[in-house]
Amino acid sequence: MSGPSLQGPSLHGPYYVELLARSGEVLQRQRVDSLPIRLGRGYGNDVILDDDYAAAAHAVAELDAGGRLVLRDLGSRNGIHHRGRRHAELVLDGDTVARIGHTRFRIRAAGFPVAPELRDRTLHRWEGALPGAAGTLLVCVVSLFARWLSDIQYFELVRYFEALAWGVGAALLWSGAWAFANRLFGRHARLGRHLFVFGCGLLALGAYVLLASVLGYAFSIEAFTHYASHVATLLLAGTIYFHLCTIRPPHRRRYRWLCAAMAVLGSGLILVGNVQRSGRFSDELYMWVLLPPELRVSHDHGIDEFMREVDGMKEQLDRGRGRKPGEDAIED
Amino acid sequence: MRPAPIPLLFVCVLAAAAFALAVGALAAAPAAQRIQGGRAASQPGPMAAPALTTPPATPPATTPPAPGPGETDDSATLPTPSTAAQQVYAAARADLLQIRMLLRNGRSQSTVGSGFLIGSGNLVLTNYHVVSQMALDPDVYIGEYVDTDGKGGAIELMAVDVLHDLAVVRVERHGTGFFRMPEHPAPLIQGQYLYSLGNPLDLGFAISEGAYNGVITRSFYEQLIFTGPINAGMSGGPSVTATGMVAGVNVSKRRDGESVSFLVPARYAQDLLARVQQQTARQPHPPRNFSPLIAQQLLAHQREMMDRLLAEPLSIKTMGPYRVPVRESQQLRCWGRSNFRAEAEYTLDAVSCAMEAAIYVSDTQQTGHVSMTHQYLRSASLRPLQFSALASGRFRVDRIGYSTNNARDTRLTRPACSEQFVHTATLPVRAVTCVRAYRKFAGLYNFTLLTASTDDGQASLQSRLDLAGVSYENGTRATRAFLSALGRSRR
Repeated sequence: MSGPSLQGPSLHGPYYVELLARSGEVLQRQRVDSLPIRLGRGYGNDVILDDDYAAAAHAVAELDAGGRLVLRDLGSRNGIHHRGRRHAELVLDGDTVARIGHTRFRIRAAGFPVAPELRDRTLHRWEGALPGAAGTLLVCVVSLFARWLSDIQYFELVRYFEALAWGVGAALLWSGAWAFANRLFGRHARLGRHLFVFGCGLLALGAYVLLASVLGYAFSIEAFTHYASHVATLLLAGTIYFHLCTIRPPHRRRYRWLCAAMAVLGSGLILVGNVQRSGRFSDELYMWVLLPPELRVSHDHGIDEFMREVDGMKEQLDRGRGRKPGEDAIED
Repeated sequence: MRPAPIPLLFVCVLAAAAFALAVGALAAAPAAQRIQGGRAASQPGPMAAPALTTPPATPPATTPPAPGPGETDDSATLPTPSTAAQQVYAAARADLLQIRMLLRNGRSQSTVGSGFLIGSGNLVLTNYHVVSQMALDPDVYIGEYVDTDGKGGAIELMAVDVLHDLAVVRVERHGTGFFRMPEHPAPLIQGQYLYSLGNPLDLGFAISEGAYNGVITRSFYEQLIFTGPINAGMSGGPSVTATGMVAGVNVSKRRDGESVSFLVPARYAQDLLARVQQQTARQPHPPRNFSPLIAQQLLAHQREMMDRLLAEPLSIKTMGPYRVPVRESQQLRCWGRSNFRAEAEYTLDAVSCAMEAAIYVSDTQQTGHVSMTHQYLRSASLRPLQFSALASGRFRVDRIGYSTNNARDTRLTRPACSEQFVHTATLPVRAVTCVRAYRKFAGLYNFTLLTASTDDGQASLQSRLDLAGVSYENGTRATRAFLSALGRSRR
């Protein structure tokens, strides 16, 4: 950040002493009407520091001969620190963060120029109950569909209620954790928004599983299901991206990179795990999806064609026979 | 009945723990030990290839150990041994040996079995499964014998017959000539007394009396039924007639039965001994590594097994509109199963045919086995998408081409798979073939074929063919025959 220079600091303020957290957040702001500003643990100071490592009269901020605001050590044991180095005298512009004992602070004059306001892209109507209800609805739809799909027993309503309970429970747990983080690092919990993000993510995941099965089966392109876990990883990273953006919208670009890195890492771990487990990159040995015959598009092969492919595997197997168990070639 | 004293039980438990390996070896040897009668009822769950199901384990400790000295006379519950048994044991004890496999490092025993000196020579007959560790990993295991007086010595593996589960070892001592193997033995008569000798559970040498009950034809190679107790540790011991003629070699027992034991007929042992004599005439030292020899024997086995399997076209059974190939014979038994009356919206009928015997290679590897399974799945009430989910779940098989339950079986290469939509003469199917090669035995493979019909949205025929330990040619031949025979009658 380029430090905007103080425009003619004057004896008369008002000045603001801002005590900062490590993250740069303002913990406490105190107005001081005129220079010099005395800082220390003693009650005779303008700004009283509740810090065991500060001297009773620790430092004083005043104008030097050149008209700049300087912070001067009053002979304390621990001194004044800025960027890791101790200073007997430190020139302060509005962005200089000094440290006394364990307290970090900066001093800004009333005329300090602030950054322009951000453009508000938040849909304020899409907050709270509305997106929360929409997200919960999506979760319910997906969990009921999943239950229905795998329900091969005689119909019993309680199983569908169970599925609903599990779905909504998972949604609340996941979104609740994000809402907690949102409250911690942002200002509001935004639980509704997080529920909506989760619902959309779950829907996308379910839709992809169906789509991959249909495409793989219809066109006999097994890669769709062989590598489905990577798309799932990508969708998960996308969901996390939207959760993060809900917490801190201005950091979108940073989060994009972070989530891309997470997706790459996740995919890498899946590949390594697959190789470790089965010696191949794909998630499964063969495509086990079976769908109604109406969905078939590709044509059937003859038995001869199939057996030719089986015959073709012999060479690769015989090559594998000569190797030690740990040195097998990795297959697709 | 006198309650069993606690220390005795303790010994039993110890014995069980110490010889779990030996027991496993004996148990795993013939697949004949699997349950037959009650399987369909007692084993619900997914239709795994029956070859891969483990036999129900009965701890050997539940069998009371042989009575100790002094206990026999005053106990009313124990039968008095016949004078014949006394005579046989007294005459045989000098030629009876315990065969142990020891870890080269530390010389601690890993499995134990029995053996016996033939005639007055220095050759000892035992089971292959007793010495399999020594045959397969001579760098890790070494063998030794212990006789009835507790004296021991080194053994040298001369020959193995994996198919009949026999082995010949050489020792540095000579037999007294009690165990005879006549060229033309008198035929055994059903009900005739036989005496089985050996060292059950490493507790000490023992003799048990039983009756000869004919030849079993369920296993691929002939075995004799001996109705008498044989326990782990007695494998490789002889079963003789009252006159000392060797009738067979103790090999296995049925765990689900009472005193149903099996013997390898003496004539196979004779063939092997003859081979050893020819071999020693040519070269005095046996091969160090038996793996190539075992591979040859396994190849010969699969040749005969597959020729027998494919000698005539597979017979066709009808499952709903589908026509499925099976082979039913003395060795390949078929069992049917249905989920009728289960609380489900679909009906599942299954037929599975499997060989009841497999060739024992090591305590974790069995081979030379064929099984085939057909599942006919249908539902009138499930939606097509729901039915697809059900059929997909059934079509998903996690363990494929494994000879054991170990998913990362390093004795086999990783599976190579082909998958396609295939149209047989009358039925479109999704077909998957996975093949794994044996690392130690060149020319042997495990084949698995999975198919699922793709002609009907509310019915699915799923078939599976497993071939363990076959050549590539025979594997593809059987796969093609099985796949071609799948069909559907006209609607």
